[in-house]
Amino acid sequence: MLTTERGRIVLGLFAITVLGIAAVYLFGGKDSNLVTQTVVTGLLLGGVYVLVSLGLTLIFGVLGIVNFAQGAMLAMAMYLVYFMVSSAGINPYLAVVLSAPIMFGFGWLVQSTLMNRLITDVGHSRPLLVTLGLSLLISNTLLMIFGGRPLNVPSPYAGSVQILGAIADVPRIIAFVGAVIVAGGLIVILRKSPLGLAIRAVAANGTGASLVGVNVKRIYAMTFGLGAASVGVAGGLLAPFTSLVPSAGDQFTTLAFVIVVLGGLGSVPGALVGGIFIGLLQTVGSLFLPGSGPLLLVFGMFVLVLFLRPQGLFGANK
Amino acid sequence: MKKHTLVVVAVAVALGMSGCSGTSNVAAGGDSVDSVTIGSIHPLSGSLSGVGGLMNAGAKMAVADINEAGGIESLGGATLVLNEGDSQGKAEIGQSEAQRLISEGAVALIGTYQSDVTQNVASVAERAKVPLVIDVAVDDKILEQGYSYSFRIQPDATSMGASGARSLIAMGEATGTEIDTVAYIHIEGAFGGSVFEAFKTEAEATGITVADEITYSGANFSDATTQVTQALASDPDVIVVTGYFPDNLLIAEAVNALKPDIKAVFGIASGAYDDNSFPAAAGEAASNILSANYHYSATSDRVADIRTRFEAANGESMETASMLSYQAVEVIAAALEESGSVDPEVLRDAISALSLTDPLLEFNGPIEFDENGQNINATVVVMQVQDGAVEQVFPTEIATKEAILPAFSR
Repeated sequence: MLTTERGRIVLGLFAITVLGIAAVYLFGGKDSNLVTQTVVTGLLLGGVYVLVSLGLTLIFGVLGIVNFAQGAMLAMAMYLVYFMVSSAGINPYLAVVLSAPIMFGFGWLVQSTLMNRLITDVGHSRPLLVTLGLSLLISNTLLMIFGGRPLNVPSPYAGSVQILGAIADVPRIIAFVGAVIVAGGLIVILRKSPLGLAIRAVAANGTGASLVGVNVKRIYAMTFGLGAASVGVAGGLLAPFTSLVPSAGDQFTTLAFVIVVLGGLGSVPGALVGGIFIGLLQTVGSLFLPGSGPLLLVFGMFVLVLFLRPQGLFGANK
Repeated sequence: MKKHTLVVVAVAVALGMSGCSGTSNVAAGGDSVDSVTIGSIHPLSGSLSGVGGLMNAGAKMAVADINEAGGIESLGGATLVLNEGDSQGKAEIGQSEAQRLISEGAVALIGTYQSDVTQNVASVAERAKVPLVIDVAVDDKILEQGYSYSFRIQPDATSMGASGARSLIAMGEATGTEIDTVAYIHIEGAFGGSVFEAFKTEAEATGITVADEITYSGANFSDATTQVTQALASDPDVIVVTGYFPDNLLIAEAVNALKPDIKAVFGIASGAYDDNSFPAAAGEAASNILSANYHYSATSDRVADIRTRFEAANGESMETASMLSYQAVEVIAAALEESGSVDPEVLRDAISALSLTDPLLEFNGPIEFDENGQNINATVVVMQVQDGAVEQVFPTEIATKEAILPAFSR
């Protein structure tokens, strides 16, 4: 039942996207090579958005925590990779694999020592303020250690390839593939593993889950850890094409929230589809609208989706 | 009740008067003060803290150098003290920091790197009648308010856009490179917009076509491929770029990936292309990129000495913004020396009448301010990344390397 509804949404969104792109090709009045380039760039940008949204959808969707530290954690992961690459000289993509468990530990620690104390809160304000404080703490610690001058992580695979006559940056393609792999991994964990079952149970009904013997606090800690690990991978994959400053993650935070709500809270496929859709919309939109115009388009679409489907594209009916 | 109020008022008045007389003693006996406080406001935390920290360090170094050389002679060798403020990159915080520094006894202010913050600080300075020497802030509007207490060392946006256009045209003629059409990519907002408008006016007056103007949002920009592809659609000879470090870096990388048949990428007031960390950050993509910007003098021995000592002390290369903070302290010190007074109003007149030779920047002449407070000799020079280093290439009399134009052989 759910699958057919999901199927319809995916199909519908896909049709809208294809029709939209076709319309741009036919009636946009732009050179077709330019449109192809835009579509390829948009897909790759979508991959970036997917990466930064995956961790958030778990933390926001399952734990209900409005995680203001998302951007700071992303920057933290980037610096972690930078540190490993610059001090030990290892391959940045190996550093990504190493940074994921470190970030998992960090997330687990944050949830079990800080956030779990606020678990009984009815409102969102205290957890929200804690994450805000955490974000200030992280970015200023990064500032203290690394300074504010832009740093960079050199990618061993720097360069670009041609796709249908369009140029695609190799580190961005790797990030896109990484986004799909992380999303696939999270879906498998959530659907097939006992941990995933527990997470879904807690997300659906915390009290009920604890009545049947699920250690809710432990599951919360694991979920935050899993979210942080996704952020860790995201930061590492983004680092090779980002100017590293302590605020480097902030520019993604707002859009990540939009994508998570658009896709449906806690829905990994929602973040995947939503991220790619927003990336495409923003990039193709920039062909016609100057400056912040494409963002306007994104937020307009966001409001429209909320109006038509308040639970998000893949959100469960509540 | 009434008695109590009266006592409180009396005490307050007495305290206030003693405070006043204390200050006026210092001012009246101007030749014998021990120290003079200069307030500095820069973004020391937040996303601009990198450059803010360097600017603060530049100002600190200037104060230390002047003190070591005997302080302000006409004030009996008074030493300078730098009271540091942090704007956090926000206009309202900058404003309250300015008020704090003035109330703590600063006789002059320097700052602030951002145009909006500077605008607020300038209005505080004007009301308090304390001179503000702007080290970095590009917006024309700041000095168009009719303020008499604000002075700017660097060129403003309009003059940078116009002189950028003139430099590009002159370089084209000098190297026999035909430049007929340009496409312009800039950050949206007052900064990018005003530089672009000035460039366009100047360029079109000499017959260059500005074929396309592409703007992007600085708040959300992580890939420049689309913008560069769009710019190339008009088949330009040159792509001109105005913006900040991360976005300009992305544009350079996109140009490098697309390898288009253009003659140059030409930054004007670019936050990246003449920064010493740009060649390393962009690698191959930085090669031969041109940049018209105000710049520390790469031909002056005094500047070379300051930069060497700065790098030894701070472990980081001294960029132009930092040099401007150093210069701003020197401007105030020279005015203190000239006037022999720590009265901010007298100091203002001294700054206004100043002619400071041997500026630390590659300017047309000594630092002199017009009636609006703008340094009339401020100008841009053109730099180019060659062999992994930023070199001055135009005008030829200050060139450290010969310009490579066309910059790309494709």
